[in-house]
Amino acid sequence: MSYHYVVTAQKQTSVTACVTGNFTSPTDLNLLVAKVSRLEMYLVTPEGLRPMKEVGLYGKVAKMKLFRPPYENKDLVFILTARYNAMILEWRTGANGDLEVVTRAHGNVSDRIGKPSENGILVVIDPQARVIGLRLYDGLFKIIPLEKDSAELKAASLRLEELNVYDVEFLHGCANPTLILIHQDTNGRHIKTREIGLRDKDFIKVSWKQDNVETEASILIPVPSPLGGAIVIGQESIVYHDGQSYVAVAPPQIKMTPINCYCRVDSRGLRYLAGDIAGRLFMLLLELHEKMDGTQAVKDLKVELLGDIPIPECMTYLDNGVVFIGSRLGDSALVRLSSSRDDTHQYVLPMETFTSLAPIVDMCVVDLERQGQSQLITCSGAFKMGSLRIIRNGIGIQEQASIDLPGIKGMWPLTLAPDSAHHDTLVLSFVGQTRVLALNGEEVEETEIKGFLSDRQTFFTGNVCYDQLIQVTDEGVRLAGRAGAGWCVTSQWRAPAALSVVACARSRLVCAAGPRLYLLLLHEAAIELKAEVCMEEEVACLDLGPGEEQALLGVGLWTDISVRVLRLPDMTPLHTEKLYGEIIPRSLIISVLEGVCYLLCALGDGSMFYFTVDQKTGVLSNKKKVTLGTQPTVLRTFRSLSTTNIFACSDRPTVIFSSNHKLVFSNVNLKEVTHMCSLNAQAYPDSLALATDSTVTIGTIDEIQKLHIRTVPLGETPRRIAYQEASQTFAVITMRVEKLEWGGGEAGRALDHELHNLLILDHHTFEVLHSHQLMSSELAMSLMSCRLGDDPAHYYAVGTAILNPEEPEPKKGRILLFHWSEGKLVQVAEKEIKGGCYSLVEFNGKLLAAINSTVRLFEWTSDKELRLECSHFNNIVALYLKAKGDFILVGDLMRSMSLLQYKQMEGSFEEIARDYSPNWMTAVEILDDDTFLGAENSFNLFVCQKDSAATTDEDRQQMGYAGQFHLGDMVNVMRAGSLVAPHHHADSAAPTHRPVLLATVHGAIFLVAQISQELFEFLQQVEERLSHCIKSVGRIPHAFWRSFNTDIKTEPAEGFVDGDLIETFLDLNRDVQHDIVKGLQIDEGSGMMRDAKIDDLIKIVEDLTRIH
Amino acid sequence: KCPEPRGAWSVVGASGNVAARVWRRELGAPAPHRRLDTRLAHAHFAPARTLRLQDDDAYFTHTVFHPTQQQLLAATSSGDIRVFNLFTGAEENSYQVHESYIYHMQTSRDGLLLLASATTPWRPLSALWNMKEFELLFQLDAEEYVEFSKMSDDRIIGTKGETATIFDTRTGRELMTLTPSISNQYAKNRAVFNPTDELVLSDGVLWDVNTGKEIHKFDKLNQTHSGVFHPNGLEVISNTEVWDLRTFHLLRTVPTLDKSEVIFNPTCTALYAVFSDQDPEDRHQFDTSFRTLDPYDYSSIATIDVKRNIYALSVSRYGTQISVVENMGEYDQMQESCVKIYDVGRRRDHDDDADEDEEEDLAGSEND
Repeated sequence: MSYHYVVTAQKQTSVTACVTGNFTSPTDLNLLVAKVSRLEMYLVTPEGLRPMKEVGLYGKVAKMKLFRPPYENKDLVFILTARYNAMILEWRTGANGDLEVVTRAHGNVSDRIGKPSENGILVVIDPQARVIGLRLYDGLFKIIPLEKDSAELKAASLRLEELNVYDVEFLHGCANPTLILIHQDTNGRHIKTREIGLRDKDFIKVSWKQDNVETEASILIPVPSPLGGAIVIGQESIVYHDGQSYVAVAPPQIKMTPINCYCRVDSRGLRYLAGDIAGRLFMLLLELHEKMDGTQAVKDLKVELLGDIPIPECMTYLDNGVVFIGSRLGDSALVRLSSSRDDTHQYVLPMETFTSLAPIVDMCVVDLERQGQSQLITCSGAFKMGSLRIIRNGIGIQEQASIDLPGIKGMWPLTLAPDSAHHDTLVLSFVGQTRVLALNGEEVEETEIKGFLSDRQTFFTGNVCYDQLIQVTDEGVRLAGRAGAGWCVTSQWRAPAALSVVACARSRLVCAAGPRLYLLLLHEAAIELKAEVCMEEEVACLDLGPGEEQALLGVGLWTDISVRVLRLPDMTPLHTEKLYGEIIPRSLIISVLEGVCYLLCALGDGSMFYFTVDQKTGVLSNKKKVTLGTQPTVLRTFRSLSTTNIFACSDRPTVIFSSNHKLVFSNVNLKEVTHMCSLNAQAYPDSLALATDSTVTIGTIDEIQKLHIRTVPLGETPRRIAYQEASQTFAVITMRVEKLEWGGGEAGRALDHELHNLLILDHHTFEVLHSHQLMSSELAMSLMSCRLGDDPAHYYAVGTAILNPEEPEPKKGRILLFHWSEGKLVQVAEKEIKGGCYSLVEFNGKLLAAINSTVRLFEWTSDKELRLECSHFNNIVALYLKAKGDFILVGDLMRSMSLLQYKQMEGSFEEIARDYSPNWMTAVEILDDDTFLGAENSFNLFVCQKDSAATTDEDRQQMGYAGQFHLGDMVNVMRAGSLVAPHHHADSAAPTHRPVLLATVHGAIFLVAQISQELFEFLQQVEERLSHCIKSVGRIPHAFWRSFNTDIKTEPAEGFVDGDLIETFLDLNRDVQHDIVKGLQIDEGSGMMRDAKIDDLIKIVEDLTRIH
Repeated sequence: KCPEPRGAWSVVGASGNVAARVWRRELGAPAPHRRLDTRLAHAHFAPARTLRLQDDDAYFTHTVFHPTQQQLLAATSSGDIRVFNLFTGAEENSYQVHESYIYHMQTSRDGLLLLASATTPWRPLSALWNMKEFELLFQLDAEEYVEFSKMSDDRIIGTKGETATIFDTRTGRELMTLTPSISNQYAKNRAVFNPTDELVLSDGVLWDVNTGKEIHKFDKLNQTHSGVFHPNGLEVISNTEVWDLRTFHLLRTVPTLDKSEVIFNPTCTALYAVFSDQDPEDRHQFDTSFRTLDPYDYSSIATIDVKRNIYALSVSRYGTQISVVENMGEYDQMQESCVKIYDVGRRRDHDDDADEDEEEDLAGSEND
């Protein structure tokens, strides 16, 4: 058997639904965004969107609709998942002030039989919130009457005569809930209304209908009262109909590409926004006129093109001309509609972009910086939103300058020039000396500051109030003021005993000598000893918290290993927290991150405790412990893009920042850092100075986030990527759609035409060096970089299919070999093949190709020709190939995975083993010689194993299942590798092996790694306990969500541990953690079992979080 | 001059071609592509194994895949059941269960029970067998055709002429008898449960199982088949006619289903139609080809000619293989009999130089 840990390294980024409403309070305007199986709640503020809460769902959001029952003063949300779990959710502020998601009602609304509609799931809610309507199966309409206190959602089925329904909505202003629907029969598409009798739970009557609307009519927009009626959007026409009269227009702007989503702008329903699949935004206006009886009626429909937006999946109007556009094919965006056009004739102004990797179609894992840490280059997005994304774990420091200086004990930036906003000086302290570096532009030279001691180690220096400088050494504090062009000491305070630690704000300073603490106030040319207290033990570290006179002071003590919180100015003790253990606190910080005050205390062994601090009482709570490194850690705060972050200097430098009100620990792409400080110099703006044992580096820092993503826009759809180290290039296959106008003029229709290209890009700049266009109607399907036979040259191989839309399968294709050198792309070889080449792999110096149903091996002859050596025919369509040694793993369209062995002597393939289940594969990977990972198109993962030692042929040739798991997303590509350098988890409490990265249609990156049986069994118990104690949103059981589910079977997950669930352990409060750990047994390392402690589990889970 | 319908995803090329579909799937195109992929799979059948009888006195009449083992159960004209290992092709066991021609078998889902029906010169006979040792559990005398209920295997429905009888699987006790007030006189009436076991269709009449009352009598438009339920629960397929189960309106006519037995694959994504007819002299007639159709819209996928008379066809548990009883010769004078196992979706093994025509020959043609 084999055991696996699967975890999300990058959450899904594609937006599948969005709504605007008052969710968190009657006065809050919120945006709720669904990203496949996650819900993100934002507050709409004048400054932009503020994230409020993010929750995961044990299911994929199929539909999300808001409604407001008459008895509520805020909006609720109805969600239906792809596996038919229905729920009504409320966002409520709990007793402790935290926002929580409350499941008001839930239930499963699936039928055991039924024909799931090909047009997808449709969900509508009556505008008066009387009933929810669901169209899940053809010929059936389900209703869920909304009752106030019912916690169970039960659906009643109504027979719907119309089989082929394209869209359905509830009309406004009807006495009984009334549906309007677009359906199709043999005569065309029609609209029809149907009134629902809630008492009998059946359709009562057809109020009105309109036969033969446009054949492409697919969207209904219900118009609010008093107008009522609905707008029907077709491909060429837009119709308003209210049962009595109708208005139809055929605006020429809309006929190029179909409209696929809309949102209402005003509550009267006179203005709507609509987006089309080319990413264009339109405004749709209803013009009214007054009828004889004084009521208003629709006179005309106007459509105006506003401008370009991301290709939308959904959109919602927020307020003040601001619209959120959710996309599945690239970055989502917040845009503002302006009242006038800009230079490019757009009414649409981009405001904010929300990065999305979706869909990730291919990727490669490379170590471009040669630092032992891989990066991922993905083919992301589609059409005009196509791009390459360079993804790196952790935070990158881009080195700008470095100076060799060993033995640094501290670093501080200073501003010496008057009225300057930039730093111009860097002070470095060493044992027994202090050196000053002046930064003149990019030049660095050593200098002196008059009044500063240079033969002592500085403990602190900085610019303080009244334009003064301060220097703290072991003997005391010196204050320096300006004296002409230089500085001179204006005041001094001699410490009664040698100082050891210090914390300083603009106008006050706390320092410690042994157990004694001194509070000094800084005045103009004067230092005042304001208070002095004596602690029980020697002070090891301290920090001043936020606030002026009454600021909090955090102190870490030797010997009793405790953290104290005191209040200035009297240094009144407020709180004592024992840390226990024998390791001395070495560095302490009190800091406010995203409005939450934290106290962090790093110990001498590289571990760190952190607490939240009650700023009024000084009480510490929510104690948590993490391991940051293996050596004494120094904590420093720094600012980046106007947020405060913390840098932990150690042998594993880490940036600590707050995201979604949670502390996130992100590693930095440096091997070790001993000290650091912010630096904002003229030549080095917004930079950091970082010291190692031997050097000082000045560098800029990436945007603070766990995964760093850089975008290289392509403007066309990338399909495959390959890296060629020899030529220092990437090759990318792309597809571009060109519109071929035919028929000419206004009446002409556009025909989409695909062109496939091979791009060569520079591996550092990602600049396109060359573009080679393939034949028209030729689809580029596969790409690799290879070295073949004895030929020393490196080639790019491209596999293609020549497509005839009438044929069910490609009948012809080509394999092309290109050589890139000295800025030229030369086609070296061309081989015609009888089918499409879905996959290419380099195989022992030969070229292995999956061509339609066959796997074929080509030799590279001395005449530089591809010659077929052998073939294997046992597939429907061989889509995916992976090779290891002489073994080849094949992923089939429908017939799961099979393993081939290449027989060198015979020059032939032999099928060694096969999985006989009908899995429709989307990606495969070889985990080890006997273990294979597959992903299939119902969003499941499974692991197959071959049993070479089995006694019968039958058992040997049949792959056995070693694991199955519902991932909830379709995997497009798998690559062996990890985003984290191996040294980051060398001494892990939870060792993992052979990591594989999976990337998905919805822009997620998952990691699958092998773990030991003991760890697996231990984690399975933790998983079991967690799934019981964590109440899931919508009450969907965890086991249901992770069960392997296809249209032929549903079986419990096995062989995989759900890392996403395991890692939630760290977010739980101590009491719950205690309940989970209670009774768990852990191996001491010697084979002896003992009761696990909370810290044991924290250590294991933290180490698991470090692998991604 | 309204435009022809085209989907939002047409922009990535024609979806009729699997290469374009795989490409669209990567971008997250909506699911209907699966139906087209299933169609592609059910257009090709590659022979994987041929099973023969060692003795020449009998011939194969029917087969059924073992639901849990890699085995195929093949029934013969002399009333025995041969158990073949699908992997090796070896005959592993043989059981004499009836005395004559077994023309239908069905296993329970757990693989423990087997229903078999045989004709004897004097009377039809059906029985329930324990599949472990092939012990007789009980006989259902005079039942011409029997099958299990659909949701579970706890009931058996038997057909005797125009009458349907429901039995308890555990005890063999008769639970209900359904005899139409006016018989339709179908030549091959086979009583069946609907997918939820709430309805029964027998002799062209729809029954409510709870009350035992007739609900509807479908118009009789053919002589042979009473009809079967579509697994979607919405339709009844009665020879070439497809009826809407909710309105009892005729939904469509599918000429390719004429005089054919209809078999669905387990995922209900493909439908096999096997021609079988009884001529006026009460003799079976067989065709040498079977057809596959898309059960979504009854469009034809392929016609597969095996060049021998097809006596029976069965589909494996996951629908990845089918077994076909292929016989040559007359009913009472069989020259050759075999069971062929075909891999669904796989093209016949071929050499690179193989003539394309030869391939077409067996694989059948598209959309005929």
